Formats: sequence, structure tokens, C-alpha cells
Amino acid sequence: MGESKSKSLSPRELFIKYAKNGEILLNQCTKCNNIVLETVYYCDKCFAKTFKQMPYKGKGKVVTYTIQSVVPEGFEDANSYAWVIFKLDDCDVNVSGFLPDISSPSDLPIGTKIKVVDFHDNHGLILQKD
Amino acid sequence: MEALYIFIMLKPFSIIYMGEKVYVLGAGSTKYGKLNESIIEIALNASRDAIDSAGITPKDVKAGYISNVFGVADKQVHMAPVIMSNLGIPDVPGLTIESACGSGSVMFREAFANVSAGFYDCVLALGVEKVTHTSTVESTTLFSYCSDFFYEGGNGASFPGLFGSMARAYLATYDATEEDLARVAVKNHENGLLNPKAHVKKKITVEDVLKSPVVASPLKLYDCCPFSDGASAVILCNEEFAKKSGNPYIEVIGSGRGASPASVQSRKDITTIPSTVEASRQAYKMANLTPKDIDFVEVHDCFTIAELIDIEDLGFFPKGSAAQAVREGRTRLNGEISVNPSGGLKSKGHPIGATGVGQVVEVFEQLTNRAGERTVKDAEIAMTHNFGATGASAAVHIFKKIK
Repeated sequence: MGESKSKSLSPRELFIKYAKNGEILLNQCTKCNNIVLETVYYCDKCFAKTFKQMPYKGKGKVVTYTIQSVVPEGFEDANSYAWVIFKLDDCDVNVSGFLPDISSPSDLPIGTKIKVVDFHDNHGLILQKD
Repeated sequence: MEALYIFIMLKPFSIIYMGEKVYVLGAGSTKYGKLNESIIEIALNASRDAIDSAGITPKDVKAGYISNVFGVADKQVHMAPVIMSNLGIPDVPGLTIESACGSGSVMFREAFANVSAGFYDCVLALGVEKVTHTSTVESTTLFSYCSDFFYEGGNGASFPGLFGSMARAYLATYDATEEDLARVAVKNHENGLLNPKAHVKKKITVEDVLKSPVVASPLKLYDCCPFSDGASAVILCNEEFAKKSGNPYIEVIGSGRGASPASVQSRKDITTIPSTVEASRQAYKMANLTPKDIDFVEVHDCFTIAELIDIEDLGFFPKGSAAQAVREGRTRLNGEISVNPSGGLKSKGHPIGATGVGQVVEVFEQLTNRAGERTVKDAEIAMTHNFGATGASAAVHIFKKIK
């Protein structure tokens, strides 16, 4: 909480850096305390642009997801996977990511516990069942 | 030409502008589907048909508004000057507008605004797309670039996948089933059979939909619109120009724009599209009408789930009740409200840069008694609704028949 911002990394690079450690980097608005993702430049409540960084444990529950039979370029090498939206525990922020090795809806009931484990150049935010 | 400038502050950052009255004087469209001609040729074919339909010549056109997303796939960007030059009016300014699958309606709004503001008395509004020469993987990839790529396409989501996730959330929340989604497809295919320019002309059953291959669970092949080529064009003009023409025309009486968070994850409620709600609120307000006044609507049914969400967000049915309305046949042609008499994106097709303009072409044909077998009986007021991506951008327009 409140870690000073690394000047050499862009907001997206910072998001990725923390995701590689299993965390989601959030920003808390210093004016109204609204919480947004690190990649947002202005608070969507009060439009302030100064934030306190909040590395947050990348754990949550599945809100919704899909399993696709035709995938975009770059994902042909992935076996069956789910694209998932999950809500962070104890925080009103949703994040989406790539959950490998899911081939049937029976593998992933809504509400399943999920965690961030990595960020890959090719597959983005990598999730795993918790 | 003096424009009447009236600005009404509805709420902060929301201004509705009412200037000169604007009319649709002519409309033309290619067939939607797999077309052999180049993107420029199909654009010119639709433009020529719209110009002929309006009873004008290219020299009457004072500006061109073009909507297109993937011109690069057919080796042509900066499309507007190429089109204007081939229409014989290289000195007439053109502008190309991109707003993903909502490009056509967003562009139409800009054309409308410029005529309404008095800058031009007559303009061409043309939408065009050509993608069927690319492979399914290439098309799926191109479309994924319309998402908030860092969070969606970059994490493996295709567009069917994004709408699949919205469908799963909707089915888990409301009284709706995969059979209800299938009924939307069956209804739109029934309408498309009556449309000579529709891409997918095939009668299907609920069982056909449910047995079709899963594309992005819970959505199956027949829950998804096709990738289409096609172009649609309309001529917009002011009142003086329309009256002088002596040709049939319809009036644009409502126009609204809305926006939503770009990524689905950022929406508080995944089962509604905020841009649709706001755009329709503005359009209803401008037209001084309510949903009960609309005789038929062309909505953005890129996937069956989208039509259920649309008809709730547009105010035709309460939240969570659209599936029941479809089950009861209330949205069929000449039902309580005819939804997608053209066949919609699902059957008529979805050439994404053209789709929003194609909806206006359908309204023009309906309200000038040219819709043949798919005519909505006694229709006088119609709405078009078209959005980009998962609804990050949207435009809604309302039209009135001139008797």
C-alpha cells in the first residue's frame, strides 16, 4: 500500500509487473478515495489524476466467462481455455484474464475461486483456479 | 442559409442540438454476403443507387461521410477521397469515420448534425465493409482489435467470446434460457427470408440452433451473425432541398449518442449496455416520443443475446423480460413491436462499417412503401439502434413517415 511509483515504467508496464507476482495493481484516488485500475489515468468519479498505488492480492470469484472454439491469432497454441471476468475479493473491481485448461462449463461454475498467477506477452493475464 | 441554433442543457456534458429539419431522400444498398467486387466498387454501387433513388446527380452532393473499419484488409484506407473522385466529384470533401460495428450509425449522426447545423443542404452517407476474403481466424483477429485489447483481445477474447460472457451473465440472472436465445435467431431468419438482399436466407428451427456447433459458450453458430461484405448509402438533405426534389422522403426526428466503458469488466452490470440507454434517452427526448410510439425497430443483434439486451435497454420491455416477450411472439413481424423486419445482422448480415446505414435503408424502404413482403403494416415511426464493439459506442435514430 502506498508504494512510490516507479518512474521508468508506464502504467501498463506496472500493471504487468505486479500481475507477474500474482497481484492486481489498483489506484486509489487521493481526492475521493475511488478505486480504479492502475491503467486508468483520471478518476472516473472526481477526475483527479493523483493516486495512491494499492497492490492487491489477485484473488477473486468468477463473475462470468466463455469457452471459445475459434480463437484469435496468438491463441491457437493454447488448449481449450476460458476467458474470464472475475471480481476481486473484498473490492468492487472486476478484472478479466486467460484461464487455461477449461474445456466445459461444468469445469467452471460461476463463483469459482480464481487467482492471478502470471502475465504472458502472448496470452495476457494468466489465471488459475484457487 | 440560416440555421436555428437551440442548445438544451439536459445534464452536464449532455447537449441536444436542434437545428434545421433533416430528411432521408434516397437510399441504396448492395446485397450483403460474399461479394466479388473490390471495397471501392461495392461502395460506389451503393452510392450510385442512393443518388439515383433520390433523383439527384453527384453535383448536388456537398459532402461525403463514409464509415468503414477494415479497409486495410482490402488495401484501401483514406477511402473518402477515392470514393468522391470515382463519383465524379473529386472537389467535394469527404470524411471517413470508424467506430467499430457502430461506425455506420455514428457516421450517420455526424452527417445528420452537419445538415442540421446548416453547413450543407445535401450529403452522401455511405457505409462499406469487405472482409469475407480473409480467413475465419484473420477476421476473428481483426474484430478482436475492436475490443479493449489490453484486457479483452489480448487475454484471448474474441467477439463471440465477449458476447458469450454477457450471455452467460444474463442467463444466470434472468428468466431466460438458451432456447430463448435460439428463438431470436429463428425469428430474424424468418424475416430475412423476405429480404432479397439478406446474406443468410435460410429457415431454421430452435432445434437447429441448439444443435449447431458451440462458437463461444453458451453461444452457438446460429446465435452469431455472419461476417459479411456489403455497402449501404443514403442521401440526407434539408427541408428546402427535399421539397424541391419531388421524390418521397422521410424525416429524422430523433438522434442520440451514447458511450459505455470500453471493457466489459468495467461495467457495473454486464447485462445492460449503458450507451444504448443514453442514446435512446436522447433520441426519445428530441423526438418527444416514448417506446410505445415506435412501430418497428432495427436493433444491433450481432449475437442473439444482444437483441434481448437491446430491446430492454431501448425501453420496449422491462429489464429481464425480453426472453418472455420473444417466447410470446411479441417481437415478430407485425407483432406488438416488429424487431428487425430486415432480418437484422443475424440474417441480413453484418458488413460492420455499413450495418448502421443499412438499418436506415430498411427504414427508408419501409416508410416509403418499398419493403414488399416484409412491410410492417401501417408503420409511421421507426427506430434504428447500432453499437460498436460490446456497446462502447452507440447511436439511436428515430424516423417519421411523411404522408
